Amino acid sequence: MDKIKGPYMKSKNTTNKMMMHLVISLIPIILFSFYKNGILPYYHNKTTLLGMYYPLIFILISTFATTLFEGLYAKIFLKEKNLKKYSINSYSFIPGLFLGLILPINTPISILIFGSMVASILGKMLFGGFGNNIFNPALIGRLFIISTYAIVITNNGGYLNSYEVDTISKATPLSNVATVTGIGSYETLVEPYGSLTDFFVGTIPGAVGETSALLCIIAFIYLTITKTIKWRIPLFYISTVFIMTLLIGSINKVGIWYPLFQIFSGGLMFGAIFMATDPVTSPTTKMGQIIYGLSLGILTVVFRYLTPYPEGVLTSILTMNMLVFIIDKIGLKAKMDYKKAILPLIFLAILIIELPISISTRYKVEDVGDPNFNIISSKEENNNVIYVVTQKGYVGDIKAQITINNSKITSLEILEQNESFYQKIVDANYINKLLNEQNNIDNVDTVSGATITSSAIKKMVINTLEDYGEKYEG
Amino acid sequence: MSGLKIPKYKEMSMKHKLNVYSKPKYVYIPLISSNDENITVLVNIGDYVFKGSQIGRRKGNFKTPIFSSVSGSVIGFEKRTISSGKSVKCVVIENDFKEKIEKGFKQVKKLNNITKEEFVETIENCGIVGLGGAGFPTYVKYSTHQKIHTLIVNAVECEPYITADYFIIKEKCEEILEMIDAILEINNIDNCIIAIKTTNKSLMTIFNKYIGTYLKIKVVLVPNIYPMGWERKLIKEVTGITYEKIPSEKGIIVNNVSTIYAMYQALKLNKPMIERIVTFSGFGLKKPQNVLVKVGTPVDEVINYIGGSYKTKKLVMIAGGPMMGTKVDDLVITPEVNSVLIMEDDFECDVQECLRCGKCINVCPANICPVLIKDNIDDTSALKSMNVDKCISCGLCSYICPAKINVREYVSIAKEKVGK
Repeated sequence: MDKIKGPYMKSKNTTNKMMMHLVISLIPIILFSFYKNGILPYYHNKTTLLGMYYPLIFILISTFATTLFEGLYAKIFLKEKNLKKYSINSYSFIPGLFLGLILPINTPISILIFGSMVASILGKMLFGGFGNNIFNPALIGRLFIISTYAIVITNNGGYLNSYEVDTISKATPLSNVATVTGIGSYETLVEPYGSLTDFFVGTIPGAVGETSALLCIIAFIYLTITKTIKWRIPLFYISTVFIMTLLIGSINKVGIWYPLFQIFSGGLMFGAIFMATDPVTSPTTKMGQIIYGLSLGILTVVFRYLTPYPEGVLTSILTMNMLVFIIDKIGLKAKMDYKKAILPLIFLAILIIELPISISTRYKVEDVGDPNFNIISSKEENNNVIYVVTQKGYVGDIKAQITINNSKITSLEILEQNESFYQKIVDANYINKLLNEQNNIDNVDTVSGATITSSAIKKMVINTLEDYGEKYEG
Repeated sequence: MSGLKIPKYKEMSMKHKLNVYSKPKYVYIPLISSNDENITVLVNIGDYVFKGSQIGRRKGNFKTPIFSSVSGSVIGFEKRTISSGKSVKCVVIENDFKEKIEKGFKQVKKLNNITKEEFVETIENCGIVGLGGAGFPTYVKYSTHQKIHTLIVNAVECEPYITADYFIIKEKCEEILEMIDAILEINNIDNCIIAIKTTNKSLMTIFNKYIGTYLKIKVVLVPNIYPMGWERKLIKEVTGITYEKIPSEKGIIVNNVSTIYAMYQALKLNKPMIERIVTFSGFGLKKPQNVLVKVGTPVDEVINYIGGSYKTKKLVMIAGGPMMGTKVDDLVITPEVNSVLIMEDDFECDVQECLRCGKCINVCPANICPVLIKDNIDDTSALKSMNVDKCISCGLCSYICPAKINVREYVSIAKEKVGK
């Protein structure tokens, strides 16, 4: 094609500039991660000097790794001669930079490097390199790591940095949601991490760089003003999640904190602003971007409430990546005749209103009983009632025999369990604490490092007492 | 309807006064009208022609005449490049510098006494065409039987660098207003809107000096957005009206302001389409300025006359504006040429992979999706459902592309494919 054909004037806007803006907008986020995961633990003597720089090293390693793997791929399989130019034009550091920011801080370095390779090669190069990939490469890397090495990462400490392990006894806010009964309350969902301000500022457990809603919003404003990202996508995405969770919250009569809690957790802000707007893997038409944002919001709510995967953001984006092609077709038709978009929009609007209603009815059913709790047997023996019950824990069902005498548990014997961190429960003398405080059971803190297991045992106690109350009292 | 604010570069050609170049030794009158080379040639080698003599006429429905711009003798026929980049057969006339006129320009005293039939006939016979760049015969617009309620005078001049319309208003404001008033009277048009850019507020003061008695004429400021001068966008902006095929179906006629002045010369002085103001600009010229030039003048003569170009740089010549113009090596002036740009040749740059940012879709004033057209360039049946023919070649998609892909070229190719 004749490059000299007009127009004989070009805008100063270049791909390089857009990528530069993207990196600039990430700098505060990287620095915050350095503060939260490095400086803060070091300040509290929870880590060494090297440990202080670890978050930066972590991000640097993945950034460097994807650059290296893309370069190697280009050299070996594409027989690329000018590797420097190729790497610059391919922006091969971007997937690694993002991958470093969306992983738990305790991801072992070897897995991080392996994930970087998957991100570059499987996520990007096999599709034909920059501009041709269907899926967001960083998300492919993360999906691979989380689906393959989740247990390894959890054993290594999961999302909590060395400071958080001691101060916060629960895992990430959204994995905590899965452990509370019903919709949860401010006390069970927000207070374990401080207040909503902590959620907004980002001093809560989560992936390396995705906890600060405030910095994400600042980045969003910067990227929108510099016309770097497709701003409609995050706007519609986050608004949809907000509206749907607001509906769920109001049906269940919880306050405005609830939808805010939902949009400030699970890396929604980061995912919506940085990952969903990846230009290559998102729709090009305006209407397409609106539909994409709305669908992402709906999918995220579905993932969070109706599946066992509480975070939902990254899964939603990967799912929608596959549909960009079709969404752009709708966008194209709407560009020529806006009426063509009405039907899809009505469909999405119905989902946005209907889903919260049906999700809320699920909670009402759950209130009757905990689906994770089962009574295998209960019998009366010399004034005692002996229960054999199971409660779903972290790995599988925890089976226990509970003896109640005159509305008081006299013994709790664990019969079967396969929990990974059960030893911590034993070390903490947790069961005895529960029995001693059984009238004020909410005062008993869960065991850090075995949050899910300990809260499951606590619930088992509550559920059993509840059943006893219904059947044997009054 | 989208569009974009783009750099203007207009000041450089505004610094100098309007210049006149009337002494070409030879003129090369292209035998072409509205891109139609089917011309009846009315002269032979050796014939003496007057300034304003008909030397050719378009065949077919529109019999647009072609005139000599000088007096002198026809010495031959030669191929020359015109603004579309095409090489076209031209009548070569040797100028005798006597400026002899065939029958003498008779001056009409009162424009308003002309009947509509006389009006249409005169602008047809004087070969008045749209001077904004399209070159469409003007009389056709006025031959409609539709009731016209609004005449829009396009003085937007949205392409960068070009200031030819600005200068014609500055120099001939009174005449332009007189002509518009006459057009309204003759064609029974209710009112007129003159559209100028907000960045040209100085023109507003010029108009305000003369406009007092013309109650039907209104000057309106339009945003500094490219392509504001596009008929469809301009009508939408100043009246809110949209139309299907041509503006007259909704009772609107749009004329370029330079065309209005050409009509004035035709009706009042009986002077055919033989000269126009052309902006000579660009960073390659030593003294960018506007020049009144005769049709058929070779451009290099004019450039030398106004001070020449920098020899140190690698330069290119562009006929028309930077957005929609064509690169040419050599050029003769035709009525369609509103500017000639001499620019530094730095257009070659690395083309990167499309990153699907969607900016070309956002800016497209014709509401088509250039990047999706590019994606489907090999799939003619898909292209058919993409309104490719709506493209007005404004060039914004190529302008905005961060990967420096010439997106408009893909759309042009698609247009050709769908047209077949």
